[in-house]
Amino acid sequence: MGAQAIGIITRQSPALDGRPFTEGYVTQPTLMAHARLRAGVTLQAMFSLEGLTLGRGELNPGIVGEGYIDRRHPHTYLHELTGTVQQRMGRAQASLTVGKGFAPFGTDDPMVRPFVTYPINHHLAQILERIVAVGAVRAGPLVLEVGAFNGDEPESSGDAPNRRRLWDSWSARATLLPVAGAEIQASFAGVRSPEIAAGGGTDDRKWSVSARLADPAARRYALAEWARTTEIAGGTSSFSFSSYLVESEAALGSLLLSGRLEVTERPDEERLSDRFRTPLGGHDFSILGRSRWTIGTARIAVPLGLRSRSSLSPFVELAFHRVSETLRPSGFVPAEFYGSNRIWMLSLGAKLTFGQLHGRMGRYGAAIPRQRGMTSHQTVPPHHAH
Amino acid sequence: MIVMDSLASGASLRASLIRVVACLALLVTAACGSDNTVEPPPPPAFLQVLGNGPVLERYTAEVWVRGNIAYTTTWGFRSAPGNAVKIWDLSGGGSPVLVDSLIVPNAGTLGDVQASDDGTLLVVATEPQPGSIMIYDLANPVKPQLITRYTSPNTNPGVHTAEVQRVNGRLYAFLSIDPPARLVIVDITDPRSPVEVFSAPMGQPFVHDVFVRDGILFTALWDGGVSIYDIGGAGAGSPAAPRLLGNVKPSGGQVHNIWWYHAPDGEKRYAFVGEEGPGAVASSSSGDIHVIDVSNFAAPREVARFRVPTAGTHNFSVDEARGILYAAFYNGGVRALDITGDLSTCTAAQKTVLGLCDLGLMGREIAQGLYAQQPVYVWGVHFVAGKVYASDMLNGLWALREYLRPG
Repeated sequence: MGAQAIGIITRQSPALDGRPFTEGYVTQPTLMAHARLRAGVTLQAMFSLEGLTLGRGELNPGIVGEGYIDRRHPHTYLHELTGTVQQRMGRAQASLTVGKGFAPFGTDDPMVRPFVTYPINHHLAQILERIVAVGAVRAGPLVLEVGAFNGDEPESSGDAPNRRRLWDSWSARATLLPVAGAEIQASFAGVRSPEIAAGGGTDDRKWSVSARLADPAARRYALAEWARTTEIAGGTSSFSFSSYLVESEAALGSLLLSGRLEVTERPDEERLSDRFRTPLGGHDFSILGRSRWTIGTARIAVPLGLRSRSSLSPFVELAFHRVSETLRPSGFVPAEFYGSNRIWMLSLGAKLTFGQLHGRMGRYGAAIPRQRGMTSHQTVPPHHAH
Repeated sequence: MIVMDSLASGASLRASLIRVVACLALLVTAACGSDNTVEPPPPPAFLQVLGNGPVLERYTAEVWVRGNIAYTTTWGFRSAPGNAVKIWDLSGGGSPVLVDSLIVPNAGTLGDVQASDDGTLLVVATEPQPGSIMIYDLANPVKPQLITRYTSPNTNPGVHTAEVQRVNGRLYAFLSIDPPARLVIVDITDPRSPVEVFSAPMGQPFVHDVFVRDGILFTALWDGGVSIYDIGGAGAGSPAAPRLLGNVKPSGGQVHNIWWYHAPDGEKRYAFVGEEGPGAVASSSSGDIHVIDVSNFAAPREVARFRVPTAGTHNFSVDEARGILYAAFYNGGVRALDITGDLSTCTAAQKTVLGLCDLGLMGREIAQGLYAQQPVYVWGVHFVAGKVYASDMLNGLWALREYLRPG
């Protein structure tokens, strides 16, 4: 069992019309559980309470999805509930996972990466909160995963996947584990109508390639990823959105220092009277424009052990955003909308954790790489992975 | 494959280059003196711009004109929300003059507007929740007075379009509801007490618009195509119990709007269907006009299409007396098509790869407006009394002179 919550105060300048916003939240309040029922059979669960604390969304300029724009949407209450059966087959490991969780695509969820503020490529680089069936095989340094899931994205924190959409989408991921702690993955997903729950909307063709290095014992981590989503309407490609991201973290004495650079394109959608919201599902396949965001973020955190199974980690994150439209003329001109094409964001806060937290998010069973410093039999690190 | 990104920027410059290349190609072809030369259609004329009434703080949406008054709605959020109906005086004959704005509370987009056939009512569709229609009294056309705001659980999450038509003497509003899509029909004969007479899920995934005439209902069902219903014009159907007569799925899907053309000679053979493909406001759009032969409602079939390579169509208005269809074409401005006569017969060289007649190759495009000037994104058009009024999301309301055939 584990739990976490982050108290944060964020100032964004400018946020709208040249005006700064300062807001505070409890973000990522999460309960986690992991149970081994018997040999080779595990259950894992994650409950998010963001629907209670982040109803208006969290300031996050550039992010878009699930009816929110420039604010990160709250996740669904039942973020993850999966069961995995894993079996050794000679020198290989195989597993089957069923439940609500992550499709085998892209990189780890940002919640288990260094920064509290999400990268804005979240909807390009991960597919989550779906009813999934994932088969995984690991043989030597190679892991192959294939999954089927419902294409529809959640429409609210209390929303459940649409039963009629079960298994209409699929993804596959290949991961190479050249040495302990290192992994290279490439993945593809065909997602049906993610934004219109009833189906019939544009489909997504998604690609992701990444390389990851992690050494938890030495508190070192690095990730480089590329992701692209192309929308398909009527069998024809319409718009593509690409993302490049590099991030790393290293310990310096008692400090954790992190840096992230991201260049991501996003669709600029029609906004409602609340300019941080967009119509869910829309009523056609058009967009206002497409903008390119270049974001540099630096972070300093000071992990403090409180008791044996809890910790407090005060942090500060400073982000600089540069944004410009990529289509000209454009129905959305960032400099006019925000008041500038350069946006600063400063966040101060502290992360409080209890118990055992998830160390990886987005992989299950045989697809969980062995981390540096562990034996070949030790596939679940101290922060258990799934 | 059409990649919208490639259409996105510099559309007018690209169009100019295409024209230059096309002209050079024609010159070369002519110089070669081939016996197989296909005579190119004559270049379209230009619709003269009479004036512009600017709207710069909001995105302009639909237009409706009655007499010398025009009403334009607004969409989304520019520097102000799309909650205004702009009222324009057209009596000067040149630039529309803004005389007032109606602000609709609890609305972010007013996607559609229409006056009733007797000119007594103005109906405005509102999005998002609570989806509704605003019904105004037009006793004073420049000062509409709200009679009622009709909303029900079936009008959520938003009314995308509202078509107002009379069927067997009663006035109805046909409401196309945002996903989960449904069609709602409301009897507004007594506008103080609207009565919902029909509601049903419809559309794949959208029902975007309808066209009603002579007791026949055409529904634009996106990838569900066009369905034709009897609602009192062909037998036992009624607005409360529409009776399905037929369906057709035009090539391309994404059926957005419809106009059933009645020619002066009484022929009612063709319905024109607008396809709305993906686009980006101000820079790109896609989607063809499809011509459907509806002479047999039970077996409608696509016979022709019109494509602008650099733009996609939106709403129509037809000068039925002269047989000219005016189509909004977003970044392609306004296009005028000659829709007289037989549109289903053409030479092999005038056919598309699907075997449909291509109205462009047939020389049916007779005029263009607002194209290759400043950037425009034309949402709707309304032909009235010798003028074409075009609502432009970026610039407000344009007045254009109609196209008159030579001689």
